Amino acid sequence: MKKTNFQAACLAGTLVILFLIGWESYLRNRGFTLSYNDDESLWAHTRQQIYDATPAGPVIVGTSRAKFDIDLQTWEGITGQSPVQLGIVGTTPRPVLQDLADDPAFKGTVIVDVMEPLFFQPDGSFAETSAKKRLDYYPKWSLSQQAGFFINQPLENHLMFLDEERYSVNALIKRLPIASRPGVFVFPVFPMEFEYVQPNRQTSFTENFLKDTTAQREVRDVWTRMGLTSAKRGVSGDTLAHIIRSVAQAVGKIRARGGEVLLVRFPSSDAVWNAEQQAYPRALYWERLVKETGVAGIHFADYPELSRYKCPEWSHLTPADARAFTKDLARIIETKTKWSLQNAVSHHNP
Amino acid sequence: MVFNSYTFVLFFVVLLALHNMPFSWTAKKRNLLVASYIFYALWNPPFILLLWLSTVVDFYMAKLISVTEEKKRRRMWLAVSLVLNLGMLSYFKYGGFLLENFTMLMNSMGIAFQAAKPDIILPVGISFYTFVTLSYTIDVYQRKFKPESSFLDFALFVTYFPHLVAGPIVRPEDLIPQFKEPKKATGQQFSWGVFLLTLGLFLKVVIADGWLADTSDLIFGLPFPVNPLDAWSAVLAFSGQIFCDFSGYSTCAIGVSLCLGFKLPENFRYPYAAAGFSDFWRRWHITLSTWLRDYLYIPLGGNRSGRFRTYMNLMITMLLGGLWHGASWNFVIWGGLHGLFLCVERLLQRKSRSVPQVVNAGGIVLQATVIPVRPGKMALLLRVLLTFFLVNVTWVFFRSPDFGTAIKMLLCMFGVITQGPKMLTTPDMLKVAIVTVGLLVCHWQMRERTVHGLFEKMPWWLFGTLWGIMLILLALTQKSTGSFIYFQF
Repeated sequence: MKKTNFQAACLAGTLVILFLIGWESYLRNRGFTLSYNDDESLWAHTRQQIYDATPAGPVIVGTSRAKFDIDLQTWEGITGQSPVQLGIVGTTPRPVLQDLADDPAFKGTVIVDVMEPLFFQPDGSFAETSAKKRLDYYPKWSLSQQAGFFINQPLENHLMFLDEERYSVNALIKRLPIASRPGVFVFPVFPMEFEYVQPNRQTSFTENFLKDTTAQREVRDVWTRMGLTSAKRGVSGDTLAHIIRSVAQAVGKIRARGGEVLLVRFPSSDAVWNAEQQAYPRALYWERLVKETGVAGIHFADYPELSRYKCPEWSHLTPADARAFTKDLARIIETKTKWSLQNAVSHHNP
Repeated sequence: MVFNSYTFVLFFVVLLALHNMPFSWTAKKRNLLVASYIFYALWNPPFILLLWLSTVVDFYMAKLISVTEEKKRRRMWLAVSLVLNLGMLSYFKYGGFLLENFTMLMNSMGIAFQAAKPDIILPVGISFYTFVTLSYTIDVYQRKFKPESSFLDFALFVTYFPHLVAGPIVRPEDLIPQFKEPKKATGQQFSWGVFLLTLGLFLKVVIADGWLADTSDLIFGLPFPVNPLDAWSAVLAFSGQIFCDFSGYSTCAIGVSLCLGFKLPENFRYPYAAAGFSDFWRRWHITLSTWLRDYLYIPLGGNRSGRFRTYMNLMITMLLGGLWHGASWNFVIWGGLHGLFLCVERLLQRKSRSVPQVVNAGGIVLQATVIPVRPGKMALLLRVLLTFFLVNVTWVFFRSPDFGTAIKMLLCMFGVITQGPKMLTTPDMLKVAIVTVGLLVCHWQMRERTVHGLFEKMPWWLFGTLWGIMLILLALTQKSTGSFIYFQF
């Protein structure tokens, strides 16, 4: 090897190693929590697991609420089977429900998270197209990408800086205090320590976030800027009828193959809950959805044991609350639907 | 498989180890061939069959052509190869497009015709390997190249993974002779190859995917018009993205190949420093423009059959060159605009005798000027900027999902629609501005130079530091699975 090239290669290698060791050490010393990239590959990998879904190990479709509020480990402890978490942050679950309905091999049980501001977003909205993008990726997930995913897993197990959403160059640039032009909607940035994702796509608040009331206030500001505290009335008329009809059709297809569907309204608190009640009155949306789809529905407000929680940032449960919530939810599901959740919920929840 | 993936890193390490083991040269070539099939199959295994079909048919057709003296029969064997290759390309790439246009034509004539939408998957790289195999049979037919006697060498020439899915489009003389003798990268070649791989990945992952893709995807994907500044930012973002994506792939391919000891042809030469469109096509996707020149423009008569025919030939070449990129009228318009600019340039050049002419080695067109000024650094710079401006206008058609979106974008860019909302944040626009200015300065500075020449003169510590910075940014950007834009062509 030519000497200069060799020297340059050695210097480059040394710089990279030193930088990455320093960067990783810095992130660890700051007390950040290791989190996995909740990207298309992790979703596609999870999507592959739907074919064993049963009432004891259902498929969960929905928003971040389902990802925070159902504690998969607790559920598995109760039923002996882990649910398949297909929730996608910031999207309506309808396209994923439709995808399950259109898959002739799927005969399992689905829990649908109904967060009205996202669930009732019309076709073509950002919340709907974002979910579709994820769905479009799945059939194109090539063998090469699958191999890459499995090679990447052990790296993500050990290296914190591989968290693209928090520590990539683009993520860091977004955090720079650069003011944008007036009139431009800038997507709010969540605090660095807001959440972490596990390989099974379980999402939880970090310990640091739970201790940091400033960070919690920042997230509440984010919800406000994103309109979650706005009482503006949601879709109505033909659009709403079409949405409910499409859900009913999807449910019908799943049931025709022996599968089942359950609607769950997860808790929210304070300003977000108030806005949701005004923008999406229960009788006009939740009740109508349950009635016209003929699906069993569990609304947190109907059960004292599900409505006793306070979301620190108004929209999601803490990990400890999620564990207790999951236990109660499993018991209520079994009672309401008469589904057998295998290891018998009552054994765990006297 | 894409170069920017962990799968490729593992694949390449294993392949390098095998290539450097004391196996026979034939065994090493077999390893390379099998590895190339794996490289392709990891995307969609069944399409390997198309690759095999093309390889086997062209190998035997070329043999038959070479041993046949009778002109008619030679033509027939060539036709078999052309029909097979172009037939596969037409079916997979243009089948849906042709049917859609046929349906529209029928309906416009008042004939009720409705065809089921064909569900055809486009095999990755089919446009590239079709051109590779076509050049082989045509060269053998024209007795420019003797048919390859070794099926292994021919199959490796067609399938060699660095160029297989997105070029550079190699000619038989580029690669087959290199397979005749044992090849192993020298230390210098290896280190330079790794550097080129880093540079290519940096262009693709950090610049194209990390900094620019989201901006152009957002604006070109909107169903409504936007503010003029946003429209320009999106077009400039795509301009940078397409260059960094495609030249990044070519640079990776050249680097990877060099690590194995094989040289691939150059595909880009700082195209945004082009002074005029003929100059642009000497610098952009060089292996495609030379292919079109040699196998389309010259056979059509080139510039030897009068002025009018020359313009016609130019237009036909560029229109088909546009269509090669994709089955859409937008690509045809893109090619047509390039053809038009080339014709205008040629026309102006004929009238402007005072400007010295630089003959294009390939003879597609002669260098001309659109701005009638005396050559000099400033005049050259103005021509470069004007060319860059016009190239950006053509990119609007290339990137837009449909004709309507392209027109809407142009109306926004040129201030006809000014009421569109502002969509891009300041950091996004800054990223586009930094990359655009950086690319223009870099291309201008490197206009008559090469990367190799630049880094050879650089002190080792500076070379190493820049290399290290690129690697660090790659590690921090982390977008590892993005496909290359040209895969879809």
